Amino acid sequence: MKFFQSLLAKYMLIILLALSIVQISYMGTAMFVLGITKTGVGEFSSEVLLESEIEEQWHAQSKNLPNVSNDAITQLFQRWQEQLPTASMFWVSEDGTLLTTVNVQEDLPAKWTPAFTTKFIKQRYGGDPFTVIAFLGDDVSNGFIVLEVPRNVFNPPLINIYENYGNFLFLGVIAIILFFIVVSLLFFKGIRKRLLHLQDAMEIRDVDGLPIEINVKKKDEIGQLEHSFNRMVCELRESKQRQQKEEQLRRELIANLSHDLRTPLTKVRAQSYSISKEALSEEGKQALRAMETSIVNIDALIENLMSYTLLMASKYKFEPKDINVIRFVREHLTTWYPVFEREGFTIDIELQAFEHHEWCVDPIWLGRILDNVFQNVLRHANSGKYIGVKTESTASYTAFIIEDHGNGMKNESNAKGAGIGLSIVDVMVKGMHLEWDICSDPSGTKIIIKHVNQSAMLGQ
Amino acid sequence: MIRILYIEDEKEIGQWVSKDLTERGYEVTWLESGDGLEQHLSSKDIAILDVMLPGLDGFSIGKRIKRANKELPILMLSARTAVEDKIEGLNFADDYLTKPFHPDELVARLEVLLRRYQKSDDVLELQHLKMYTKDMRIINTLTEEEILLTGKQFYLLQYFIRHLNQILTKEQLYEGVWGESYIEGDKTLMVHIRYLREKIEINPAKPMIIETIRGIGYRVKL
Repeated sequence: MKFFQSLLAKYMLIILLALSIVQISYMGTAMFVLGITKTGVGEFSSEVLLESEIEEQWHAQSKNLPNVSNDAITQLFQRWQEQLPTASMFWVSEDGTLLTTVNVQEDLPAKWTPAFTTKFIKQRYGGDPFTVIAFLGDDVSNGFIVLEVPRNVFNPPLINIYENYGNFLFLGVIAIILFFIVVSLLFFKGIRKRLLHLQDAMEIRDVDGLPIEINVKKKDEIGQLEHSFNRMVCELRESKQRQQKEEQLRRELIANLSHDLRTPLTKVRAQSYSISKEALSEEGKQALRAMETSIVNIDALIENLMSYTLLMASKYKFEPKDINVIRFVREHLTTWYPVFEREGFTIDIELQAFEHHEWCVDPIWLGRILDNVFQNVLRHANSGKYIGVKTESTASYTAFIIEDHGNGMKNESNAKGAGIGLSIVDVMVKGMHLEWDICSDPSGTKIIIKHVNQSAMLGQ
Repeated sequence: MIRILYIEDEKEIGQWVSKDLTERGYEVTWLESGDGLEQHLSSKDIAILDVMLPGLDGFSIGKRIKRANKELPILMLSARTAVEDKIEGLNFADDYLTKPFHPDELVARLEVLLRRYQKSDDVLELQHLKMYTKDMRIINTLTEEEILLTGKQFYLLQYFIRHLNQILTKEQLYEGVWGESYIEGDKTLMVHIRYLREKIEINPAKPMIIETIRGIGYRVKL
C-alpha cells in the first residue's frame, strides 16, 4: 500500500487543511479589506484622518478667510462638506445669533447666550462628535464657526470594516468551522460505513455455511483488512473442501468395502437358491435354511459394522428436522408389519397422538433405531411371538414403547450380534438428544425411546 | 410377456437372476455394461440396474434411461447400501433393492412397479372380484356384474391396487387420493372407505378385500 492511498494520509491532509484554512482566512480577510480600501467602495478611505489635522485646517481656513460674508462662509462650509460628508457646521455671530448652518441635526438655539456657549463647549470637550470652534479671521467680532465631525470618521479603516461587515466575517468564520466539521464528519462517516459494510459482509453466509468474499474497492487500511478477510475465507473454504474430500473418501471406502463383501454374499445366495430348486433330503433342506439365515445375519452385521464405524468417526450423515413422529413411526411400521405377520407374531399397535408430536430428529436415524430394535425382536425374541408398539405421554416426556415377550436380554438367544445393533441405537439416540431405557426380564423386554419435554425440565 | 432390461457385470449373479426371471415367465435381456443400451430402450417394460459397472455407473445409466424414456420404470439392484447411495438412486429410479436379495422380493417389487406404470395388463383376481387394471373395470364374479364406483371411490381403489400388498396409513391414502395434507381427526377417508366396502365387499362388516391393519392403516392384499 502506498502512503498516499492510506487513511492516515487522508486524515493528515484534513488536519493540514484545517490548519491552513485559518491562515488562508486571515489572508482572505486582508485581501478583502485591501480590495475595499483600494477601490474606495462606500465611505471608506485609505487615508487616516487625524483630529489634530482637521482642527489645524479648520482654524487655518477660518483665520485666512479673506472677507467674512455669508457667501464666503457658505462656500467654506460646502468645501468641508465635500471632504467630510458626515460633518455638520454652523456660524454664530458675535452677538450670539445662529447664522449659516450646514447639516445640523441637533436643536441649536437661535440666540447663543454666554451660558449656553460655555455649556456647549464643556459638553463637547473630548466628546462625540469631535467639535472644533474657530473665530473667523483675525477678529473675534465676526463670531465663530463650529465644525462637528462624528468621532467614527477618525476610526482606522479596519474598524470601520468590522463595524460594517463584521457579521459577514463572523458568518464566514462559522462557515469555515462548519466546513471543517462537515469534512471530518464525512471522512469518519466514510470509514464507519465501510467498517459496517465489512461487518455485514462478514456475517453473510454462503450455502456451504462459510462467509462470502468481499469485493475490495480501495487499497487503504480497510482494503487490506478486507484482503486478509478474503484470504481467511479462502483458506477456510480450502480446509472445508479438504475435510469434505476426506469424509467422502472414508465414506467411499466403507461403501466399497460393503459392496465388495455383499457381492460374494449375493453369489452365495444365488448358489443356495439354485440348490434349493433341486430335490433335496431333509438334512439338505435344513442346511440350506441355516445357510439362508447366515446370509441374512451377515448382511445385517456388515450393515451395522459399517454404520457403527461411520458413527464412531462422526461421519454418519446427520440432518435433524422437525417431523411428525407419530406419523413417521406409523409409516415405518407399515414395512415391518408384514415381516412380523409372516413370522406369526401378535402385533399390538397403539399410537395415540401426542400433544406435541414434533420431534427434532433425523428421520433416517430414527428409522435406523426402529429397524435395529425390530430386528432384535425378530432375532432374539422370536419365541414370544409378540410385538407391541405403544405411545406414552407424561408431563415430562413423550415416548414410544416397543415391547416383546421373548426370553429377555440376559438369556441371549442363539443369534449373536445384538451388541453392535444396540450400540448403534445408543449412539443415535444420544446423538439426537433423546433418551432410552431397556427393561428386560425373562418374560420379555421393553424398550422405551423418550423425548424429554424441555419446558417441563425447565419447570423443575 | 413383460420384457426386462437387466444390467449386471457380475456373471454369476447375472446368470442366476436372468435364469430365475426367465423361469418365472419374463423375457430378460441381460447386458454386462451400459454399452449398446439405446437399442433396447424402446422395446422394454422395465429396467433393473446394478450400480458398480465397468464404464458408466448405474446412476448415470439410469439418468440416461429416464431422459430417453420417462415411462420406463427403473429398479436399482445394488450391493451399495449407504443412505447416500440410496438417496442418489431414488432421485431418478423408482425403487432401490440391496444385495443380497431374495428373488421373490425382487419379483414382488418388479410387479409393484409394473402395476404403478400400468405396464402389466394383468387381470387381478381379488376374492370375488376381477379387476382389469388398465381400464380399472371391476367385475363381481358372483353376479358377473360390473361394479360402478364414484370418482373418489375409484381413485381410492386404484391407489390401493397400485400399492398392492403395502400397508397404507390414513395420511398416505388421503394425501395420495385427495392431494391435500391430512388433518388429524378428519373422517372423510373413513366415510369413503365405508362406501367403497359397501360396494365391493360381500360382507362390509367383515371386510376381506380392504383389510384394516389396527393402529396403522389399510391394506389390499393379493
